[in-house]
Amino acid sequence: MNPILSFIVILIGVYGLATSKNIIKSVFCVTIIEAGTILLFLNFGVYEGGLIPILNAIGIEIVDPLPQALMITTIVIGSTITSLALMLCIKIFHHYGSIEWKVVLKGDK
Amino acid sequence: MFLAPVLFVFIPIIASLVVYLFKHKLASYILFAAQIALFVLFALYIQALETNPELSLIVFGGWDEMFAISFYNDRLSLIFIGLTIFMWTILMMYTFKTNQRENKFLFFLMFLQGIFLGLIQTNDLFNLFVFLELMTVLITILISYKKTGPSFRAGIYYLLLNTVGAMFFLIGIIMIYYVYGTINIQYLIQNIDLHSDENLIKLAFVMMMSGISIKAAFFPLFTWLPKAHGVAQTSISALLSGLAVKGALYMFIRIYLEMFSKANYNMSEFFFYLGATTAIVGVTFALTQKDLKQVLAYHTVSQIGIMVMGVSSVSDLSYVGGLMHIMNHALFKSLLFLGAGLVIYGYQTKKIYEIRGVFKSMPWTSILLIIGMLSISGAPLFNGFVSKTLVKYDFKGDLLKMVLFTIINIGTVTSFIKFSQILYGPKVDVMKRKDALQILSMTILGIGCIAIGIFYIPFGEFVFGKDLSYVKIFDIRQWIDYITYVMAGMILYRYVIQRDFKPLRLIREWTITFENANYMFILYMVFISFFMFFR
Repeated sequence: MNPILSFIVILIGVYGLATSKNIIKSVFCVTIIEAGTILLFLNFGVYEGGLIPILNAIGIEIVDPLPQALMITTIVIGSTITSLALMLCIKIFHHYGSIEWKVVLKGDK
Repeated sequence: MFLAPVLFVFIPIIASLVVYLFKHKLASYILFAAQIALFVLFALYIQALETNPELSLIVFGGWDEMFAISFYNDRLSLIFIGLTIFMWTILMMYTFKTNQRENKFLFFLMFLQGIFLGLIQTNDLFNLFVFLELMTVLITILISYKKTGPSFRAGIYYLLLNTVGAMFFLIGIIMIYYVYGTINIQYLIQNIDLHSDENLIKLAFVMMMSGISIKAAFFPLFTWLPKAHGVAQTSISALLSGLAVKGALYMFIRIYLEMFSKANYNMSEFFFYLGATTAIVGVTFALTQKDLKQVLAYHTVSQIGIMVMGVSSVSDLSYVGGLMHIMNHALFKSLLFLGAGLVIYGYQTKKIYEIRGVFKSMPWTSILLIIGMLSISGAPLFNGFVSKTLVKYDFKGDLLKMVLFTIINIGTVTSFIKFSQILYGPKVDVMKRKDALQILSMTILGIGCIAIGIFYIPFGEFVFGKDLSYVKIFDIRQWIDYITYVMAGMILYRYVIQRDFKPLRLIREWTITFENANYMFILYMVFISFFMFFR
């Protein structure tokens, strides 16, 4: 898979962040950026015909295990952030009655 | 002693778990036990490091050093560790009595200390990212802990913007890994110039720097900081200003000044002017604010500018000045925030123009506030003066830079003349908490400000290993300079700020939407890229 594709995913996320007027949309744009990042990193470690990285498999051509280990951590962090952000969205909706950035940021100031 | 760096991370985390699980009042005293244990361990660790330098690196799991997760401590990280433990103890003392029953709050606060100590010691770029994200999550929870509308709003603004920054930091790490095959910082410091793909490394530098710039609140990206500081609890505001932002500055030093030092990108001029712009913009916003906490929050932005000006400069003494300003700012800014918290609690309002007569009604608090104000504005005999003079060392012959620095100084003095208006006036009946620990913690900070301001030579030798005798506190010219600043500030306050002209109102009411904040981020990244590639 081409790294250009994952960059396109990241750029879609960035475009969404710069245009979306809804908090939940912004949250998902962050998630999209993260998905693109994960794709990008996994892409670097994998090549065609590589096998699963298992410790005793010396002499066999295996893929680089480090990106996979790191990306699992990133996925966990990403889910934490998404859930926290959605929780905040619910609370914001209860307080302001809306999840538009415009309404919320004007709010009570 | 070998495991001391790991214990720095785990003692606070275990203590926080104990507080969370045992909801009893007695359990919360374990936090102080943990802080004392950290202090003792830190002192022992420094002593052991002197005799046995090999202790500075600790590798987990018995893997090869190049791939394993490792912790590494040098002078820079030790300074930050000491500062972290000290500041957390102070804030714990301040917030203990009011929040003793809130075991969730204490849990998050203490957990954050462990994460912060991990961020400072780690020797692995990916771990740096993990700690950064954990810090973002915990700080978001602490910001929104008050459970009011504005605090949730500030929380989500902070969370999303900082996550975007951290994601771009991660993309930078990925590129580094692609080119070098390792993410160990010490290896990268030695081998950063051995690469085949110059452009990819430059792109990685741009991505990582943009991510750090959001975290560190540089000029166009500081919009999350006043929002977050304005609504959080007093102790959390002090924590954010005093330390959490410094975590990003630590990363700035580690990555820009150490990791990419061999790559020779010559960005010091760029970062100097970026810092100067940050400082001037921060001061301008601070001058127009009418809210006690907002004034202090915007001042954090401007002081970060001064730190970047010092840290990014070429000469050694100015670098030490920037580093010292990080410590000093932690002291006096938390002092000001904590004092302002007491004042806000006493008067039940945040508006500067409604609070009068603090000096008569809260004498000791206002003396401490005055110490903080003199420190931040750089009066001789106080600690702000020492570090600001050291920052000036690099460009004392350069007229333009001196003019910029003088503007920043006059702005700072003016806005604190405005801030000090709350002290005047007749005595008012105010609400007071009967809490000796709060006053004690602020007094320690105040004494620290004065002690560093007077005994800076032994302090500098002990902490930075540098001779700071370049700074002379009894030099008459410095005193005249300061008095001139104060007089200029008074004139500026009397004839411009107090009249509240229309441009000032416009600046005060200026807000930025989330979309535009992201546009700013993209523009900032494009700007650094142009600077890097087409210079």
